[in-house]
Amino acid sequence: MSIEVKNLVKTFGDKRVIDGVSFKVNNGETLAIVGFSGSGKSTILKLICGLTTPDSGEIITSEGDIAMVFQYSALFDSLNVADNIAFALHERKELRKKYTEKEIKNIVAEKLELVGLKGIENKFPSELSGGMQKRVSFARAIVTEPKTILYDEPTAGLDPISSTLIEDYIVRLKDETHAASVVVTHQMSTITRTANRVIMLYNGKVVFEGTPEEMLRQDNEYTKQFCMASLEGPMRMIAEN
Amino acid sequence: MDYSLKKYYKQSATYKIFSGIFTYSAAIISTLGDISLNAVEVAKCILKGQIDRRELIEQCNRFGISSLPITLSIVGMTSVIVASQVALEMVKQGGGNFVGLLMTMLIVREVGVIMSGFAIISMIGSSLASEIATMRVTEQIDAIKVLKVNPIRYLFVPRVLSGLIMMPPVVAIAAAVGVIAGAITANLTSGLGYLAFFDSAWLGIYMKDLSVCMLKAATFGAVIALISCSCGYAAHGGAKGVGEATTKAVVWSFVAIVILDMFFAMVFFF
Repeated sequence: MSIEVKNLVKTFGDKRVIDGVSFKVNNGETLAIVGFSGSGKSTILKLICGLTTPDSGEIITSEGDIAMVFQYSALFDSLNVADNIAFALHERKELRKKYTEKEIKNIVAEKLELVGLKGIENKFPSELSGGMQKRVSFARAIVTEPKTILYDEPTAGLDPISSTLIEDYIVRLKDETHAASVVVTHQMSTITRTANRVIMLYNGKVVFEGTPEEMLRQDNEYTKQFCMASLEGPMRMIAEN
Repeated sequence: MDYSLKKYYKQSATYKIFSGIFTYSAAIISTLGDISLNAVEVAKCILKGQIDRRELIEQCNRFGISSLPITLSIVGMTSVIVASQVALEMVKQGGGNFVGLLMTMLIVREVGVIMSGFAIISMIGSSLASEIATMRVTEQIDAIKVLKVNPIRYLFVPRVLSGLIMMPPVVAIAAAVGVIAGAITANLTSGLGYLAFFDSAWLGIYMKDLSVCMLKAATFGAVIALISCSCGYAAHGGAKGVGEATTKAVVWSFVAIVILDMFFAMVFFF
């Protein structure tokens, strides 16, 4: 078991954003979390990687690093691509001792090749397109060989071809690292092409859990509304509530 | 209290005044708490020797070399203003022999360090705050945490240390420029000779003045960097949050160095 979330609760002010969410993700498996904007999807990722703490509930993850690919890449502006990718290797004492500078250089080149961006070590994030930045953030995330990889809307704002490329990398990384992955997304292609299982959140609760095929079958009224992008159904936008 | 009474009470001017004072006080206490906690964490990292030398050199260059032109200009011009106001009048009143003493004492004890502090705040402090605030709102600080790197060690330690190390030499150079500018201005406005100016300049300067000046400079440098980093680190929201954090860093740094200056004056010169 790589990630196990039990009865998670998180409240911001008066609003209960996560309300008793539970799920499991095995090694080598990808779980997609879908739902309205503001339904608590990104909060779950932040809870798993420890950026915020739950009010109650339990999160159990395998030993080893947790990596996160941020929605807007979150690359360090002042560092070039090579230093971005090697950031943890340079800044963490145990990793700095483990690798020589030459080895770090080789690791950076290898990770860049893995995401199809060979030879851009000396470029700065501002010189890259959105899709390239996203791929560099993939390379940075996997440099510590994590056991858990979290993706926060990895294909948001990208053109369909770049999205397909990113989706392929998610699958490829899962196959190569056997990590447990959680993908937060709105995009149907990302759900169907990358996920083994899907959960849908509404009002902080899980309203659907199943495979992407089961989701597309639209037996559930929530998934039906989501897939049809319909205004009619059990889900109401937050402003309407 | 029934609902309508409560509503009426909340709309009253008294309630609004006290509620505003409470909110403002809570924000001040919260900021002071954040700065203190960050200071403790920075001290811990420094004592453990967790210092990124590459980043420290880069920040020292930013704090010292980049800020030098503006600092020298401000201290030099302040000195010109003061000398042009007092030199002629003192010479007229028969106090020409004390112009150098007055100018040097003023620059070494106060003007050099406080004006350098203001210049550093406006140039370096604001840039530190906006840089870190931008990192906060673009999730770069979250990325640092997820990569299991201590953001205080990575962001604060080199910046605070660079302030501590670089501010004294910057102030020393600025004070020297200020004294020379004062001598030239006194000569031009009142015809006071350079020899007379510098002869009296030495009379008013003691080792204690120089030591306190350097101690003040180091303290101001570290405090400006700490406050600027803390305000940037606590930023939230988007571009507005970055702007608010930068303004807050500048205001807090100005107030802090004036309070510290008063403290130094009370401890060392009362």
